[in-house]
Amino acid sequence: MSDFLNYLILGITRGSMYALIALGYTLVYGVLQLINFAHSEVFMSGAFGSYLVVHAIVGNGQGVSGLGAVFVIIAGLLSGAITGAAVAFLLERVAYRPLRRRGAPKLAFLISAIGASFFLAQLFGKMFNRLGQNQFPTYFDANKVLFTIAGAPVRLLQVIIIVAALLLMFFLDRLVSGTKLGRSIRATAEDAPTAALMGVDIDRTISRTFIIGGALAGAAGFLFGTAFVFTNTMGFIPGIKAFAAAVLGGIGNIRGAMIGGLLLGIAENLIPTAPWVSTAWIGIQWTDVVAFVILILILVFRPTGILGERLGRAA
Amino acid sequence: MTQATTTADPDDLIFDVQDVTLRFGGVTSLQNVSLQMRRGEILAVIGPNGAGKTSLFNSLTGVYTPQEGQILLRARPGDQPVSVLGQKTHVVNHLGVARTFQNIRLFPALTALENVKVGVETRQKSGPVSAMLGLPWQRREERESTSQAYALLDRVGLAGRANELAGSLPYGEQRRLEIARALGTDPGVILLDEPAAGTNPAEKQELAALIKQVNHDGVGVLLIEHDMKLVMSVADRIVVLNFGSRIAEGTPEQIQRDPAVVAAYLGTSEEEAVAELDTHDQPELHVIDTSGGVTGAGSAGGPATGEEQA
Amino acid sequence: MNRRVSLPPWVGRLLACLGGSVVLAMMVGKQQGSKDDYGLAFREAVLNPRIFYFLLVGVLVFLGITYQDVVRRYAGRPGVRPLLAGVLILLASYFLMKWYDPLGDGKLATFGAAVTSTPAVAPVARIFFGWLWWVGLLVTAAATAAAIVWRLRWLAWASAAVSVLVGAIAVAAHSLAVSFAGGIDHSFGAQTALIGNLVLAGAGVVAAMSRVETARTREFVERVMAFRPGLPLVAMGVVLGVLALVAATWFDPGGKNLTLVDTQHLFAGSALSGVASAYLAWLGYAVFAVVVVLAATAVWTAQKTLGYVAAGGAVVAILVTLATLHDISATATKAGYPGSAGEWQNLGTGGWVLCIALFSAGAGGLIAARRAPVIAPEPALARGSGALGRLHQVGTSTTLLSLTLFGVGLALFYPPTATAFWQQALVTDIGVYVLLAIGLNVVIGWAGLLDLGYIAFYALGSYTTAYFTGSLPVQPPIHLSPLWAIPVAIAVCLIAGVVLGGPTLRLRGDYLAIVTLGFGEIIRIIAVNNPGDFTNGPRGVARAVPHPVIDLGFIRFEWGGSQLQYWYLLLVLLALVFLLFWRLEGSRLGRAWAAVREDEVAAQATGVNTTRVKLLAFAIGASTSGLAGVFFASQVGYFNPQNFILNNSILVVAFVVFGGMGSLTGAIAGAAVLTWLPDFLRDQVPSEDRIMWIGAVLIVMMIFRPAGLIPARRRKAELTGLAGHDPSVDQDLRAVPAGEGV
Repeated sequence: MSDFLNYLILGITRGSMYALIALGYTLVYGVLQLINFAHSEVFMSGAFGSYLVVHAIVGNGQGVSGLGAVFVIIAGLLSGAITGAAVAFLLERVAYRPLRRRGAPKLAFLISAIGASFFLAQLFGKMFNRLGQNQFPTYFDANKVLFTIAGAPVRLLQVIIIVAALLLMFFLDRLVSGTKLGRSIRATAEDAPTAALMGVDIDRTISRTFIIGGALAGAAGFLFGTAFVFTNTMGFIPGIKAFAAAVLGGIGNIRGAMIGGLLLGIAENLIPTAPWVSTAWIGIQWTDVVAFVILILILVFRPTGILGERLGRAA
Repeated sequence: MTQATTTADPDDLIFDVQDVTLRFGGVTSLQNVSLQMRRGEILAVIGPNGAGKTSLFNSLTGVYTPQEGQILLRARPGDQPVSVLGQKTHVVNHLGVARTFQNIRLFPALTALENVKVGVETRQKSGPVSAMLGLPWQRREERESTSQAYALLDRVGLAGRANELAGSLPYGEQRRLEIARALGTDPGVILLDEPAAGTNPAEKQELAALIKQVNHDGVGVLLIEHDMKLVMSVADRIVVLNFGSRIAEGTPEQIQRDPAVVAAYLGTSEEEAVAELDTHDQPELHVIDTSGGVTGAGSAGGPATGEEQA
Repeated sequence: MNRRVSLPPWVGRLLACLGGSVVLAMMVGKQQGSKDDYGLAFREAVLNPRIFYFLLVGVLVFLGITYQDVVRRYAGRPGVRPLLAGVLILLASYFLMKWYDPLGDGKLATFGAAVTSTPAVAPVARIFFGWLWWVGLLVTAAATAAAIVWRLRWLAWASAAVSVLVGAIAVAAHSLAVSFAGGIDHSFGAQTALIGNLVLAGAGVVAAMSRVETARTREFVERVMAFRPGLPLVAMGVVLGVLALVAATWFDPGGKNLTLVDTQHLFAGSALSGVASAYLAWLGYAVFAVVVVLAATAVWTAQKTLGYVAAGGAVVAILVTLATLHDISATATKAGYPGSAGEWQNLGTGGWVLCIALFSAGAGGLIAARRAPVIAPEPALARGSGALGRLHQVGTSTTLLSLTLFGVGLALFYPPTATAFWQQALVTDIGVYVLLAIGLNVVIGWAGLLDLGYIAFYALGSYTTAYFTGSLPVQPPIHLSPLWAIPVAIAVCLIAGVVLGGPTLRLRGDYLAIVTLGFGEIIRIIAVNNPGDFTNGPRGVARAVPHPVIDLGFIRFEWGGSQLQYWYLLLVLLALVFLLFWRLEGSRLGRAWAAVREDEVAAQATGVNTTRVKLLAFAIGASTSGLAGVFFASQVGYFNPQNFILNNSILVVAFVVFGGMGSLTGAIAGAAVLTWLPDFLRDQVPSEDRIMWIGAVLIVMMIFRPAGLIPARRRKAELTGLAGHDPSVDQDLRAVPAGEGV
């Protein structure tokens, strides 16, 4: 039982990060009907960007008081978000906008996105020495057990991640449903030509959509880096899973992405560790396979996801 | 295709559409529509924008599956009637239904000849292996498809354009090429979706002649068209749709005098339409020809989604 | 937030250019990061005086864009582009390429220093390596540039002459210095320098002869090629042949570097067969002369029969040359000549270059025969399927055909002269990926389906081979030789392709990409996780996969002796696959693929069974990948799941896109260039950066040349934006073209 709860909590933690990344896929898909393959590298850049800032503040760790640690975490989230936003903005300008101007076929966008993805991953690798095991300095006791649920410990870092993710998602929800920018994003998602006729600046809206999605992914990059090790190739697996989460919830649908992220995180941790699974296929090394199989099954059998597509309608 | 039937037999139906209803979510695109298309006739479907004409076409070709009703098809003489409902588009095509599109959908990066060959070759048998090995029967089929495609291009007056990219042809020629491609699949009936849109008067005359010729060669023609002059000059019978329902059916003369039709096009009540009919000598041209842009019916019609997606 | 900050457009452009140069600065350079100091790499790359070079480039680009009218006016002058190309080739030759293998890094600077400090070397060589190389480059480039700018015809002619002279001196100096030094040398620096100088000379000639203000390079080239189709190939054959007969090494036991004449002296009175002795004495020169004269006459008079005769003569001459080469090496070995290592060993470049020359001349004759003017142009209708049913006739220019034939000649006869490193690279890096690219081209280029898990089928092919040859922990019911595993692996991949494609191919393009990517990862992870002890996990296969064997009872041949044997096996496979696919492209299936790709809805309405057609593309692509897998498995012997990572799938996609989606020659060229380049630039670019550069290339290609290196006719219009043919669709506002709806 406590094993089950352990994996459940782990699943929720990972799932909330997937949800943050999935939001970027969903937002961009909403306005462009395009899967932003390079989004996973935006996520990765957030980890490195925030690392530089955190490292500059706390050096190699220790010696930060409780309140100081809160400040560092906020600084990390912010710097991750800013790096992610900047990279996403540049990505749209360089890799997508020229193609959009020309009216290129979809395949061209996909290839450009793949190129951008690999370029970014390897450029960061070059800049940061391609180390496989980067870690944030320890400036607080991340593994402190706050409380236990039926014998399963809940750790400080897990709480931080879940709370931060929930806060960010809440802000995004308000942003999209309550502000003028949110309205223009939804209008563009619903019907870009008409939105343009109504005075919405499409280029600007798309650009800002990328920025918002990038900021969320960058913040997620900081959380992920704090929780695990981070590398220049860290984006790929979480990125693909976040995409699966976005599709699971219904791509283009913001709340769907949140739900999909959590579900996927839980499923990939519970399914391969469940007691009824045969021993040959048991164990944590199969989590990725589970995620991919789920992805393929959703795409084949219910490509519209749980909550259905369309950013405009369901946001 | 070879059997020339010019007189329509009222019992030999190509399409027998019975009480078809098609909905998208909450929007009803077609409401209890029935129509019968007889072998050998040119049947026109008219109606204001958003009346459900293209939805009807899409239902007939298997793109959409109506929720209610039945569509029976006997494209070629002697066929058993088959239900179109739930069939895939390419299967319906193989049953003998070819079509063109409202906004031309050629394969722009293929040459005109290749466009037609794609159509002709869907009736061929040779597979990838025989193509890779260049087996004799594959070569023979290749020759056949080329000569057939040339004959079809010649028939629509495009033989000289065979090696030009379809995307670079002028608009009117693209329309005719689309018809040639449809004819390439050796259909029993061809569905033309606004073939005259965007063409000039001279091209319209050629088109009318082409439609009559095609029909004379034994291919049934089902036509959606806004150009009433063309419709009146080629159609044997006309069915009028409005807001997804059939409001009239008859010969061109009957339709011109039908108050319900005039009302639909003007967006007025029938009484006013009758008055309008009385004041004009040639109401059909005056009232109906402008249908494309003037009436308000189009913007009010919910099924516009159906038109877009087609 | 609605306040608009409006900057003049040039500010944005300048910032973009400078930003680009900073990124470039980060991309170029050594790996310098460290775990202790995370900013180190960035500081080294950007906060370093060398950043000014990059900023300078950025400013130049900015100026070029801002004053593009002026730039265009000058860049459009006849001769400018060949001038730039020539200078670039020469720079590559002088600074990047090897001039002499055995010495240090083998580059011109190293070798040149050694030559100039050795007084005994011939003075021509000392002069060239001392100062002539750079003075020559500066003078000819400057003179040609001046001739173009001020339209000085005499100066253009003069600099062209000087360029040719410098090129000839480069080859002669290299030859002299190498035969003095006496080491085994396979370098290309001198030959490249010759080519660069010839291109420079071409620039001068174009500048001198042109009477128009602007150059249309393509038209100019086509005009030259159309003047006498095949003439350039014959000319190339003459140049290479003369070089081979006069200057090149034919036999080099113990680093002796003997030319043809020296070889004749060496074998005088030996047990060499009659034909070979005659060949060394006079027959070699004679057959070359005959072939060249035949080909040249055929080309000049456009005689169909003569062209075929020339081609046939070239084949005979090549066979005789090969027989002689074999005889030389075999006789020397039998006689126990010092340094002689066996059949086909110790042969210099001479014989092989002569083969290339003969092939080139013969190909020239063949082109002349095929392009012989038709007496009366037939009316379009009467031509029938022969000419028009095939799209190839419409799209293939003489230029492309000539280049392709010359490439075939190189592929046949260059590898024996290459170093062991390059032979290895040719087989494992280049050849296999060319095969993969041809297969993926079917899926991406023709059917328009983005398959990101393509390498999974390669893995399936490899593991199938390993299984049936008994190299996995689990033993198969029957043991097969790798050659017999080919049909099995193809069948397995075909089935896997259908099983994966069946349910997924109706998905939209981007979903399909993700699904295939997931499939690729699943296959790899399964291989790593080793369920049921089938794949032997991350360690890879348990025993080496055996080499292929042909055993016909009376004759038995086993691969594995050298990479060359695999190269020729690969060439056979490639030629076979190329031929089959080339037929396929012009068949009804090829047209159906194009139709589905262009407009799926219209294709369905025209009766094309889109699911079947897409499935066929997927399965054919998968089985090609499986074939490559068999080859790979038996060639390397040992492999592990690390060979099948996602990066490799992406690489193949990149090759296809770079070469030109939908173009067979493009796929080959793309894969060949992009796999060759990293090996070629090994010293300049760290190998880990390869993927980064490839990513950048993909983006740049999609922005500036989406149709690729050698565009496919059917794809070009679509990719470069003829898509705007439908005025009712506002292309600006949507990422997805209207055709991909429903």
